[in-house]
Amino acid sequence: CTKDFEEINTNPNAVGTITPEYVFTKAQYDGVANMLYLLLGTMQYTTSFNDVAGFGSKYIASQVNSSSAAFSTAYPNALNEINLVINAVRDDPAKVNMLAAARIWRVYCYSRLTDVYGDVPYFQANQGYTDAQYTPAYDPQKDIYADMLKELDEAATSLDPAKPTFGAADLLYNGNTAQWKKFAYSLMLRLGMRLTKVDIAAAQTWATKALAGGVITEDADIAKVNYLASGQIINQNPLAYNLLINDYIAANGSTNQEGGKYQKVFIDYLKQTRDPRLGIISVVYTGGTPNQTDTAFAKQQGMPANLSAKPANFAQLSEPNPKTVLLLNSPRLVFTAAESYFLQTEAALRGWSGGAAPTLYSNGVRAALRQWAIISPTDGALSAQRITGYVNNNQLVAGSFDDKMKQIYTQFWVSIFPDAQEAFASYRRTGDPTLTPNNYPGNATGGQFPRRFLYPVSEQNLNTAAYNAAIARQGPNTLLTRVYWDK
Amino acid sequence: QVAFAAHTTPQKSSYDQQAQYPAETAKKPLREAIDELKSRYQIQVAFQQGLLDDKYVVAAAVADLSSSKLTAENSLAQLLVAVHLQFKRIGAKQYVIYSSTNAQLADDVVKGKVVLEDGSGVPGATVVVKGTQIGTGTDAEGNFELKLPPTSQGQPVVLVASFIGYAKMEVTVTNRAAPLTIKLAKSDQTLDEVVVTALGIAKQKRDLGYAVAEVKGEDLVQARENNVANALTGKVAGVNVAGLSTGPGGSSRVIIRGNGSLSGSANNQPLYVLNGMPMDNSVPGQAPTANGGGTNVDRGDGIASINPDDIESITVLKGGTAAALYGSRGGNGVILITTKKGRAQKGIGVEFNSTSTIESISVIPEFQYEYGQGDGGVKPTTLAAAQSTGRRSWGARLDGSTDYVGVDGQTHPYVAQKDNLKHFYQLGRTFTNTLALSGGNEGIAYRFSLSNLDSEGLLPGSTYNRKTGNLNLSGKLSPRLSYEALAQYNIETANKRPSAGDALANPNWSPYMIANTADVRWLKPGYDANGYETVWNDASVATNGYFVVNKFQQDDRKNRFIGQASLSYELAKNLVLKGTVSQDHYDYNYRNITPTGTLYALTGQYAGIKSDVSETNALATLTYTKQIKEVGLSFLAGANKRRSSLNELDQAGTGFTIPFFYSYNNLATGTTLALAQRQDVNSIFGSADFNYKSLFFLTVTGRNDWYSTLSPSNNSKFYPSINGSFIVSDVVYMPRAVNLVKLRGAYAQVGQGAPEPYAVNLTYSNVPSSGRPLQNVSSNVPGSGLAGITNANLGPVLSTTAEGGLEAQLLDNRLSLDLTYYNRLTDNDIVNTTISPTSGYNSVYLNAGKVRNRGIEALVSGTPIRTANFSWNTSYNLAYNDNKVLQLVEGINSINLASTVGNWAYINNTVGQSAFEIVGTRIQKDENGNTVFDAASGYPVATALQPLGKSVAPLTMGFSNDFRYKRLSLNVLLDGKFGNKVFSISEVYETRLGLLKSTLPGRENGLQLTGVTRSGDPYSRLVPVSGLRNYYDNYKNYSELFLHDGGFIKLRQVILAYNLPAFQISSFKLQSATIAFVARNLLILMKHTNFDPEQSFSNSNYQGLESIGLPRTRSYGLNLSVKF
Repeated sequence: CTKDFEEINTNPNAVGTITPEYVFTKAQYDGVANMLYLLLGTMQYTTSFNDVAGFGSKYIASQVNSSSAAFSTAYPNALNEINLVINAVRDDPAKVNMLAAARIWRVYCYSRLTDVYGDVPYFQANQGYTDAQYTPAYDPQKDIYADMLKELDEAATSLDPAKPTFGAADLLYNGNTAQWKKFAYSLMLRLGMRLTKVDIAAAQTWATKALAGGVITEDADIAKVNYLASGQIINQNPLAYNLLINDYIAANGSTNQEGGKYQKVFIDYLKQTRDPRLGIISVVYTGGTPNQTDTAFAKQQGMPANLSAKPANFAQLSEPNPKTVLLLNSPRLVFTAAESYFLQTEAALRGWSGGAAPTLYSNGVRAALRQWAIISPTDGALSAQRITGYVNNNQLVAGSFDDKMKQIYTQFWVSIFPDAQEAFASYRRTGDPTLTPNNYPGNATGGQFPRRFLYPVSEQNLNTAAYNAAIARQGPNTLLTRVYWDK
Repeated sequence: QVAFAAHTTPQKSSYDQQAQYPAETAKKPLREAIDELKSRYQIQVAFQQGLLDDKYVVAAAVADLSSSKLTAENSLAQLLVAVHLQFKRIGAKQYVIYSSTNAQLADDVVKGKVVLEDGSGVPGATVVVKGTQIGTGTDAEGNFELKLPPTSQGQPVVLVASFIGYAKMEVTVTNRAAPLTIKLAKSDQTLDEVVVTALGIAKQKRDLGYAVAEVKGEDLVQARENNVANALTGKVAGVNVAGLSTGPGGSSRVIIRGNGSLSGSANNQPLYVLNGMPMDNSVPGQAPTANGGGTNVDRGDGIASINPDDIESITVLKGGTAAALYGSRGGNGVILITTKKGRAQKGIGVEFNSTSTIESISVIPEFQYEYGQGDGGVKPTTLAAAQSTGRRSWGARLDGSTDYVGVDGQTHPYVAQKDNLKHFYQLGRTFTNTLALSGGNEGIAYRFSLSNLDSEGLLPGSTYNRKTGNLNLSGKLSPRLSYEALAQYNIETANKRPSAGDALANPNWSPYMIANTADVRWLKPGYDANGYETVWNDASVATNGYFVVNKFQQDDRKNRFIGQASLSYELAKNLVLKGTVSQDHYDYNYRNITPTGTLYALTGQYAGIKSDVSETNALATLTYTKQIKEVGLSFLAGANKRRSSLNELDQAGTGFTIPFFYSYNNLATGTTLALAQRQDVNSIFGSADFNYKSLFFLTVTGRNDWYSTLSPSNNSKFYPSINGSFIVSDVVYMPRAVNLVKLRGAYAQVGQGAPEPYAVNLTYSNVPSSGRPLQNVSSNVPGSGLAGITNANLGPVLSTTAEGGLEAQLLDNRLSLDLTYYNRLTDNDIVNTTISPTSGYNSVYLNAGKVRNRGIEALVSGTPIRTANFSWNTSYNLAYNDNKVLQLVEGINSINLASTVGNWAYINNTVGQSAFEIVGTRIQKDENGNTVFDAASGYPVATALQPLGKSVAPLTMGFSNDFRYKRLSLNVLLDGKFGNKVFSISEVYETRLGLLKSTLPGRENGLQLTGVTRSGDPYSRLVPVSGLRNYYDNYKNYSELFLHDGGFIKLRQVILAYNLPAFQISSFKLQSATIAFVARNLLILMKHTNFDPEQSFSNSNYQGLESIGLPRTRSYGLNLSVKF
């Protein structure tokens, strides 16, 4: 009576075993795409007069739950996928490079997650299928950081140029083990420096180790994912796609669906510092005519973050440049040479390396100006003359350590755009740049800057005990509770 | 002459009477002895006048008999043998005594015809001489010829005509030569009913050990519902019907005796069976969710295809006991639909039924009309301000001022606009016409019907058309070989099915949520000169309703064929082999266009579904019946193979390359995903029925199912059932007022496989990519896109039901009672359990949980008034179902199944609560009842998630009254549901947008808040008028504020009918004609909500959520029914 049952109960459209390459590529796409867009508002790059969409810049209490999206998305996508890959390749010594790449990528994905939310499930996570673990414990961020740094260390040293790689399935480096090693040490530098407030010794140890291992300094080594201009959404630049679809697709400056514009703070700063990137990043639409953009310096004007209705001059305000920031086939920069140089500058200032801080800083600024040419060779490139001019006008000033930090991390804020998530982490660690929190009516923080974002309410429902333990350890699930390295 | 001595005289106990006679040799008149037996056994005994005179029996023997445990028949036999008389049983409790010498028949003949109310002849009716065994049957035209005994020569005789489902009719015949017509009327004696049970087997209702309920087809055709399942509302105790407010082609949701499964995908609805074979009741695509966007529409279920005019009767088998023979899917009850058949007659019978109804909105919500459009207490005076505040009623106090600017750019008086719903929606209209032809002879009887249903919904442009052709053939090929075949073809087309849930492309958003001083017509036509959507509010996702109506495209077409054929062969006397094959197949095409210029998707979007779905069954049964003296036996053995399959292509894409050209080929990005699902269930089963003297009945069944969807190591399940009944009143002395008392009891198990295939092995699927190949874990809920964990050990569900019941007929059968208690336990339930995404997956298939449904059902019906011209029949049913989740899987106390848009409320299964409980937050209070505030944000603290109430009403009732005065009849049906809660997503928005009266506090001078902080210190603050909107907006984080008692009492149905006198129309050869005023959902007599408490948008398990869908309607119209 059960003849053919196994065949009948086999999905004709799916396979029973994974192809690690395909899953790894998916994990790379998903890892890059999982970002909290609202952080663009929090970091005062953008805002919206519509206060639902404006949560990021206004922290309105009624919208706080929108901040949990990246948590819910991370696990069943990038994190589980990378686990599938690791399980598939870990036991084959010939696949050591694949394993190493997967481990490094896992660290990248987890670091993005824990930096925003604090304690998250880590050691027991993604074991639903293999171990029937449906309620993983939340691990202290301290332990997560220790393990991530250890993982980077082990993975970087295990890379072997003689062995096979993911090749073209590796969107970041096409299988180049030397570049993976630089990416691993660059991440180690980033995560190590993250610990300066809470564990300066560990920070020094890991930063020193990273620098010794060799970090990204050349444009060619920048970790990035390339995208297509059309086709499936997953193959298009996720930040550009989301900004475009949600707000800027009308390309006329006036009917932005969610009322988005650049924030006054950001535009004012770029104008005040005569930043040549302003015209690359920002446009206004002349007379509200579709596609008639104007990048003229004088016309750029940001929108204040305290509006609750559409301002009369909305159409004249600056918004992302469709030829760069909104370009669907522009690459997403995962780790830049500029960031590496800024972190190196700080390490030098702290005396952890032999490098000269002013040189490293200038290298960082120069790399940051150059990187827009990677975004768009035609519309992002700055002439060498303009780059040199700006670099020369923005040398690292003599002064106190704090003054120098402020200069580095204000420049970092401009340079890391549009990676608001990294800006948010850097801001919480260093306090730079100086940003005035938005005391919008009905905000959830009493007018203070958010220090983390919220776990999904569903975790209360689905993972109650673990969730409660995390709250008890870390503090209430609010925007003001600080994560471990932000204490 | 025959006299009938019924037991209608007052009786003393037979024990008292014995004392009058000396013991031993004393004689007793036979007449008295017979009277004792009549009294003792509550039987009727007929005999020819004078037959018992001068006959005596030994008194001591009578005394022995009266203290014995002999049956009535044995006692009669012992009494009569001594006096050389014979007797025969002629009915359940009727006997006739005769002398064999008088039994000779002479040629005294009566000829006549038995007809129904409509004048058509009744083939197969029985005509007997009253009180005797002398009788005959009618032929194909209803004619009969009956030879009378010589003793009645020259005497009037009483003939009794009977036919299943009709009251017995007695006529006195004096003149043998006069033409005789006996007209039968529908029976109102429920206990004589024959009902259709599992596998289409007709049984006397009194034989059954479980609760069944029957609804006649004629009760469905006057006051119609487009979806015939909705017509069951309030009619059957324990059947909880929730019609959806999703427009004219919408689905229904029927739950019998509560939610039996905790699974989200097992839809808990009963199995629909058409003429003995299962039919498909799926909703193409999937049922709408509480948080979906534009394509989140109800595409109509399978039962919606059935034309009520084709239905002879609907039988509801409520429990697993009734459904044991249907196996896996019978656990939630079975709704058996028997379609009309042709019958042998002269000429062609023609029936025509026509109904026209109009529909209007049932409830207009009450809003505040003190403060109008605007924000922060300021009304808009510019177009930009009007557009920013298009759905905000946070403006100034209404003052009639004339500088108010609307989204049309014009100035208007600043006054309330209370008729936006009436302005936006139209009256719905439905026209249904059915023509049926029937006729035939013994070799072939046919019934062929054609029907057209044309509906326009409340939403302009929303239409539904259903064409049905139904052909039923039956007959005999030889004396032993008979056949039956059914073919039904449907074409269903629908346009602009309205969406619910989230705001995107939801046409209902604008009329409901527009500011209270704005006229929704200012939004017309919804698009500008370029064809782009015009802005009416600050959120582009809240689509302009007129843009949806005028520019969105959504159409679907379902072509459905249901075919059945059976052959039945009598191998030997009483041994019948029957084979049946059936297929229910439909092809479905759906297309949804989000047009170019839609604000939230400027370049447009495309969604399409192309699917073919079929359910095929092959069934073979062998039945044998045998009467051995007083024991009736019947055996059945059978085997069934079921295969269901779905092949679907889901098309999706974004960006029309050439604007306004809506073709899949014109998409910038298009993806087609193939979906295939197959499952088989193979079964063998058997049953045995025992019947002892029509007093005791016992049925045992057994079935073994093999499920393809389960683990190969655990995919077989055997399950038994037993049920019995006992006619107490035939055995035990009952007062005169009691006509019948029956006790019944049943115990049954039903197994069940996984509702979806491919739940056993984890698989990986390609992810559409324009670049490198991508792969991820396959979704375990096809089409959901969510990764889920399969279960290699998945085994069968077992549902066990025990029930007991009592039926009674009282006061000359004018009052009847039917009580049932049941306890149904579902164990090892297969639940695709939502788990924390941190596990790497969104759900896991588990044999998780145990859920109990227990309850009572009561039906009281009666005929308080019955006179020649006026009668009143009434019936009241009440059911209470107590549903409780007893256990989930180890370590999991609560599983989440659904959530609203914004996660403002959840549907959970939690141990100790009812299944599909509404879960959410409350405002945190301290022990003194003070509100606890978060000092940093200044907002009340929300509690952790907690159970808020049942999503399904535990208590349901229906109250039906039929009044008949001469040719006029009035049917009034009330129904009610109690004890459930409804979470209103509309009210979340109506609060955020300042429409509800509850948002009035603080409008003038700000809102003073007082309470305590988390640490218990006093807290107070003044929310300024400018901050009120954000303050009330934040209310959405406290679910309890939007939760209401969902109970109601409704005037569900009114039918006022006039049966045209036949003589006036006989020259047109019309047999009958009825015209009726009909109304459905006429009034809500009790409710606790600002909306229709039945406002529902999905027939999934996720009830209890109201979600800005199409308003529910009341309908009224005319029905005309004629027969030629």
